[in-house]
Amino acid sequence: MSAALDLSLREQAAAIAAGDADPAELLEATLARIEQRNPALNAIVETFPERSREMLAAAPDGPLRGVPVVIKDEWPLPWRAQRFGAAELPVPTTPGESGPYLALRDAGATIVGVGNMHELGAGSTGNVSVYGACRNPWNVERCPGGSSSGPAAAVAGRLVAGAVGADGLGSVRFPAAYCGLTGLKPTFGRSAMAGHHMAPITNLIVSGPLCADAADCRLLGSVLFGEELAGGDAAGLRIGVVRDPVSEDVTPEVRKACEAAIEDLRAETGGEVVEIDLPDLVAATLSAVLIINAESLNGTTVEGLNRLHPDLSPLARGTLKYRMLLPASALVQAQRVRTLTRRRLSELFERVDVIAWPTIPAPAPPLEAPMVELPSGTLTADQANVRGAALANLTGIPSVSAPVGLSSERLPIALQLQAAWGRDELLLDAAEALERANGRRWVESKPPLAEAETTGV
Amino acid sequence: MEASDRSDDFIPAGLASLGVEADEVDLAVMGAVHQIFWPPILELLALDTSEVVPERNPDLSRAPR
Repeated sequence: MSAALDLSLREQAAAIAAGDADPAELLEATLARIEQRNPALNAIVETFPERSREMLAAAPDGPLRGVPVVIKDEWPLPWRAQRFGAAELPVPTTPGESGPYLALRDAGATIVGVGNMHELGAGSTGNVSVYGACRNPWNVERCPGGSSSGPAAAVAGRLVAGAVGADGLGSVRFPAAYCGLTGLKPTFGRSAMAGHHMAPITNLIVSGPLCADAADCRLLGSVLFGEELAGGDAAGLRIGVVRDPVSEDVTPEVRKACEAAIEDLRAETGGEVVEIDLPDLVAATLSAVLIINAESLNGTTVEGLNRLHPDLSPLARGTLKYRMLLPASALVQAQRVRTLTRRRLSELFERVDVIAWPTIPAPAPPLEAPMVELPSGTLTADQANVRGAALANLTGIPSVSAPVGLSSERLPIALQLQAAWGRDELLLDAAEALERANGRRWVESKPPLAEAETTGV
Repeated sequence: MEASDRSDDFIPAGLASLGVEADEVDLAVMGAVHQIFWPPILELLALDTSEVVPERNPDLSRAPR
């Protein structure tokens, strides 16, 4: 066992750089831990020890030299094509050097495995995948969140200290929230995206880091951005809050924890809370959903739809076909709503620095029935979750999800902060301020699976 | 009949016009998806955006000009 195994991402990097930890030992200990813990989680769908050892042997002296990480099944690796959590994709994929792979390699990181994901990236729960459901380390009968389910479960289960996800409609933030992690959805275009099969056409999807806390996200985010995300203090933070279902149609526990966190953040930064108006949020959400559904038609043909792989889930099969029927008039309207919303946000960010609301309206639902009970009634988790996530993808702004509590069932609760374009650093500053305010209580909370023992592997 | 209830006609006819085949399970899934999607799509189409000039090739990494 390597003593570095349970350190944070930045502590692992620092220990290796200082010669206090042997990266080869850390790699072998990580692989052993994956073997030990992954069967309960199904977070990692493939390891390749020889490739990992080769990466380590060739690792440059970068900021993550020798640090093991996981990458979502959404990008090609030189030795493996992405499967997108599905039996089949509309477009063929081949192995290759994707942007996130190159960023990790050039930083000296060691990719130890590929993370599970919700089938075709089309769900916020992570319970549907060609590899089987991924499980939440906080309760293995609960959803880990999606679509970056495996990366999140791998970090929360302390299989690795950092992982790369992707966010097209909340897919970094949902699993971060369900698993008690910090997850950054970068400003559109700032993080490495080359090689993604949707990269040529998407203007919603970004790569993003999933880590235990904001400082680790800053380190991994800097690698993905190709530039240092400098730290600040978020002093005098102006926090915008909305009176809207996105803040209010949430469980009482989520509402209480998030309102307390907002007050903690205000007090810690010496800032202020400003009530703001953000009209047509429902239209903005639907617009993002329509646009990503249209983008997802890339490569789709009638012939392809008529010979879909039999192992695609019934939901995926039906949804793929239904997308062909989306009216063009609605997509044009969605672009108008996008413009309108971007202009409104641009004005709003003159008055506030961040907009805060719960990342998820309810903690992780059961794997077998991902429904949530909200004040307005029972909804599918997907319907409920997307309301709080789509704004950032539609408009391109950055967003971070940070843990702010545990429910009575000991499931994580999370607050989402959104900022103006290019202010990713401010979001990490604010998340760090929140950690200071609560004594790092929530970022240092570990699920039972990771608490079980730290003396073995 | 509500517009959202017309999936019995809309979906099979739409798929047939495209030449897309669908079995009973596909149709059941699409019917359920339609029930969720269609009412807000109609609301979206009813939104008055006549004053909004969409951005041409918007740069989503920046605020709108």
